[in-house]
Amino acid sequence: MSWRIGVDIGGTFTDVAVVDETSGQIDVVKTSTTPQNFAAGVIEALRTAMQRHDVPPSDVTLLSHATTVVTNAILEQKGAKTALITTRGFRDVLELRRSARARLYDRNQEPPAVLVPRHRRFEITERIGSEGQVVTPLEEGEIQAIVEQIVQNDIEAVAVCLLFSFLNDQHERRIGERLSEALPDVPVFLSADVLPELKEFERTSTTAICAYVGPILASYVERLEKATRELELPPLHIMGSSGGVLDVAESLKMPAMAVESGPAAGVIAAAFIGRQLDEPNLISFDMGGTTAKASLIKDGRVEVTSEYEVGADANVVRWMHGTGHPIKVPVIDLAEVSAGGGSIAWIDPGGVMHVGPQSAGAEPGPVCYGRGGQEPTVTDCDLILGYLDPDYFLGGELEVDITAAEAAIRDKIAGPLGLSVQRAAASVIEVVDHNMAEVLRIVSVERGHDPREFSLVAFGGAGPVHAASMAAELDIPRVIIPPIPGGFSALGLVATDLRREYVRTFYQRLDEASHAELSTAYAAMEGAGMGMLVDAGVPEAKRKLQRAADIRYTQQAYELTVPVGDGEIGDGHLVELAEAFHARHLATYGHHSADEPLQLVNIRVSAIGTLGSLGLKPTAVAEHAAGFAPWKRREVYFKEVGAIQCDIVARAGLHGQAELAGPVIIEAADTTVVVPPEWVARSDPRGFLVMERSADG
Amino acid sequence: MAEIENGAFGDNDPATFEVVKNSLYSMAAEMRVVLSKTAYSPILKSAGDFSCGIFDVRGDMVAQGPDLPMHLGSMPLAVKAVIKAWEDIEPGDVFIHNDPYFGGSHLPDVNVVTPAFADDQSLLGFACLRAHWPDVGGGTPGSYGTETEIFGEGLRLPPVRLYRRGEPIREVEDIIFANIRTPEEGRGNLRAQVAANHRAVTRLEALARRYGTDRLMRIMQGIMDYSESMMRRALSALPDGEGSFEDFCDGDGILEPGETEDAPFTIKLHVKKEGDRLAVDFAGTDPVVRGPMNSPLAVTASGVFTAVKTVADSDALIPPNSGCWRPISVVAEPGTVVNATLPAPVVYANHEIAHRVCDMVYMAMSGFAPDNVMACSQGTSAILTMGGVDRRNGNRYVNYEVVKGGFGARPNKDGINAIAASVANTANTPVEVVEMGFPLRVERYELIPDSGGAGEYRGGLAARRVWKILDHTAQATVCCERSKSPPFGLFEGQAGAPAKIYVIEADGTRRDLNSKEHFLAAEGSEIWYEVPGSGGFGPPARRDPDKVKADVRDGYVSIEAAKRDYGLDL
Repeated sequence: MSWRIGVDIGGTFTDVAVVDETSGQIDVVKTSTTPQNFAAGVIEALRTAMQRHDVPPSDVTLLSHATTVVTNAILEQKGAKTALITTRGFRDVLELRRSARARLYDRNQEPPAVLVPRHRRFEITERIGSEGQVVTPLEEGEIQAIVEQIVQNDIEAVAVCLLFSFLNDQHERRIGERLSEALPDVPVFLSADVLPELKEFERTSTTAICAYVGPILASYVERLEKATRELELPPLHIMGSSGGVLDVAESLKMPAMAVESGPAAGVIAAAFIGRQLDEPNLISFDMGGTTAKASLIKDGRVEVTSEYEVGADANVVRWMHGTGHPIKVPVIDLAEVSAGGGSIAWIDPGGVMHVGPQSAGAEPGPVCYGRGGQEPTVTDCDLILGYLDPDYFLGGELEVDITAAEAAIRDKIAGPLGLSVQRAAASVIEVVDHNMAEVLRIVSVERGHDPREFSLVAFGGAGPVHAASMAAELDIPRVIIPPIPGGFSALGLVATDLRREYVRTFYQRLDEASHAELSTAYAAMEGAGMGMLVDAGVPEAKRKLQRAADIRYTQQAYELTVPVGDGEIGDGHLVELAEAFHARHLATYGHHSADEPLQLVNIRVSAIGTLGSLGLKPTAVAEHAAGFAPWKRREVYFKEVGAIQCDIVARAGLHGQAELAGPVIIEAADTTVVVPPEWVARSDPRGFLVMERSADG
Repeated sequence: MAEIENGAFGDNDPATFEVVKNSLYSMAAEMRVVLSKTAYSPILKSAGDFSCGIFDVRGDMVAQGPDLPMHLGSMPLAVKAVIKAWEDIEPGDVFIHNDPYFGGSHLPDVNVVTPAFADDQSLLGFACLRAHWPDVGGGTPGSYGTETEIFGEGLRLPPVRLYRRGEPIREVEDIIFANIRTPEEGRGNLRAQVAANHRAVTRLEALARRYGTDRLMRIMQGIMDYSESMMRRALSALPDGEGSFEDFCDGDGILEPGETEDAPFTIKLHVKKEGDRLAVDFAGTDPVVRGPMNSPLAVTASGVFTAVKTVADSDALIPPNSGCWRPISVVAEPGTVVNATLPAPVVYANHEIAHRVCDMVYMAMSGFAPDNVMACSQGTSAILTMGGVDRRNGNRYVNYEVVKGGFGARPNKDGINAIAASVANTANTPVEVVEMGFPLRVERYELIPDSGGAGEYRGGLAARRVWKILDHTAQATVCCERSKSPPFGLFEGQAGAPAKIYVIEADGTRRDLNSKEHFLAAEGSEIWYEVPGSGGFGPPARRDPDKVKADVRDGYVSIEAAKRDYGLDL
């Protein structure tokens, strides 16, 4: 037997996915997250999971982990005491940002957070020009004074970002060498290593974030590794934001890559489900307590973006950023909206009802939790409408107060609007479903994809409750509910590959690009990628390199990423590249211009160590549902037919290929699946539920 | 609560109303995505100098995108101008115009208007995208010259048809692109504008299919009624009162014969807030000036609207659309700098007067609504255009940049350093992007110590950017108000630093520039652009000494200023 284990930390629960590689059996073990000491919680979760399945440590082939420490350190501003070294005259690049504000009319808005305060930002005399030439040589004599400042200020990490270092890194490297000699214990991050890419603010921000979180990630993984070694487990891997895992050494070189690793794992899990079901085109939809996230998978590939801001304003669904910290590492392209089970329904002074963006979160939580929540939430409405079972809430672990939920809806929504409690609750659900459908729209229609050609994979505790209604909003024909949707993301940690993305700016017009220079540049990046794979112990047959390029029309500002063929670069490559770009531009934005010149901006290489595919055969679902009554009926409200007596089915009871016509509710310990009228749900021996709109629907 | 049911919702349920409203605002946001990601000019793709909106059949704005407050008041006129000019609007039409005397703002802001139709060919409304082109002809690169008539400011396009039945009309395009310095860039921008409108129109048509034309149109009216009632409530919540303020602008950029310095001119306004209404009267304001500092009334109104929304609806509960402004009146004598008449030139006033008016409204309201106002911000869009021939490739270039000053101090917190304020929200151009695109080198981009006005709450600092001219002579234009009238503080807070603009020649001599000036910058010279800071709030003596010390440690405040302004010996 051989096993893969993945550990995903969430705000409330730590999920451990345990997969038997040979039999394809999976299980997800849930333990409570321990915010005071995440590492201790992870170890405890590992022990519990391994005990439950009798996993001997020597049989574990992969141990991977999605961590929130990096994102938390940034959000809570608890990173390392960081210094930043810049070109003279540019000390304030990090603070000047891009100078637009996020809230147009908010006179009370806070300034955007700055991770490195001004007195720890040091200038040095030097200048590289826009063609990579040295305009002003590096004044090495100034380094010593900076070293002294770093010592005096007890600085724990240093970021160095000089202008045009992506074209000529000699000054940054020299500073790096001098600092490492003088301060061997202080980690130094050079922008030429972290992100050799055009645009000084974004590059500085990414480099500063690496320095800011590097020491925290290092001490965290050190503690974890010590414990996993004691458990005699294999080396730890960390989930990166682009959906692949990295070994520890690699993750510490590029700590910013560990942001959003949990959500990335969820999308990878969705892609994995797609492989099992032979569904290459999917939209993943993850609905939790406070946010809903969507991502698109086309032809089995996840979409990746490099426009991401950590801690950006949660209300901002779209890319009008400015409140968070940009990191330009490849991040799985997620659209996010502040809408979830905890979203609060309210009426403004003008009498119009809204849902969110405020959330009751986990504490105090929805009114029905009875923990002091006073404001009616989406979960309260799901309960009132009969979607959730008052007698079997969270698998019977939580006793809920439906009377209190009804009272809150009556007082705050139904009364003022002159509606019945049921109509008011249904209105709340209609609005939140529409708000969440917007993220599905953003990743599909807005990026040029027709949602009718995709299936929706819904997970997170509340996802399967709302999935069919949202799919209907966008004419998505099919909804897939995976086994164990409540701990689904953890599955992505074991169903992925080893993966590291490399990028550098290669600024030439495509029709004038030097074949030789381009080949050399790709070869250098591929060399680095191959070196990483060798160091990580990936056997030769499993090493894979993929090229891509970021291209735009010469006068545009935003690029589209297009794949590039292997081998020595020749005319054929460039013609293919141009054609692929024009086609993608047309599909994405609805227009293109085939005879205009193209600009190559960045080139990319993904180094991949494939970990072999898994075949799924879950059996663990039944175990969770032990003690659950198989059949019952209760009143459930559907917008199509109103309130009716509806069949309630236990998911655990669906053996083999059952087929259920809606309206019907399917319950499991970790989620509830709502099958509205006009939908049909089919179960699959491996534990999937597939819902489709019935032909006459 | 029956009035609500009959008011905003009409015969619609609350969920449908909210869902349609959110869809309309999301359409405007989607236009923004298409435009930024595919336009060619840095001022659009990086700086974001454009606005998107969805309009009803009469040209009233139902939803404004998260774009520029500066365009709040004048976008509806842009659509109404098309409706007035053309009776035969048909599916597949696209219209274009830029004339401030036909519903535009200034000539560089080019409006593209696309109608939407239901399946039965009845008109549903319009999408309009106003985008600032880096050049629309005229006497100087960037169309930012100190002209004395609008005829010199560039190509004037009244509302004309650009597409018929989905096909571009070549004659119109040929006239446009023969008149601008960077036609290829212009074509790219125009394609992006047309595509962005098309996205919105397609979505609006789908919405009509789903909810029915009549119901959609009723909800569109309901959304504006809703904003109006929300604005009335917000105004009612403010104390009643009235106040006046008089301020002077640096000048119009024209040196009259015998003048050695640009002559300032005066704006006066009186604000009266009573119940759920607010009125602003500009009586006593100077007549139109010779240079391009004359503002069409709709642009002036945008400055008022921005201030009112910030004062009354800081949490942004009221969706911005035409309904918001029904309770607000703006009165100004035609032929004054705040209500320009043909043929007065206007190009600077579009932002400079709108900024000024917005800040002045805060001051005028500070007497009766002291907790709802803020000290004066930078008060300018601080524009620099540079143009010439890039000898590296022989191409003509135009670089249009903005530099941000301070965001004024608030009744309970400091201002914000170097960030867009009031009517503007454009972004800077990255230094590396400037240098890779143009024969220029940026020598400095940094905060200016002591530029934030002292106060219990300090004003935000301004930024300074310095460009060196490489290997050519650049034709440049600056436009930056508040070089003589520094951004005021409130309640004994001090004023922020005024703007300073100068050229340091290759031989080291310094030449000071006026706040608006067209000039030549020789090879090797440096243009120093120090934009205005912002005002402080409350007496400096009341500032927490620890905050002053922290400011000194970070170099926001110098040791000398700490002693002078705060009496703190460090």
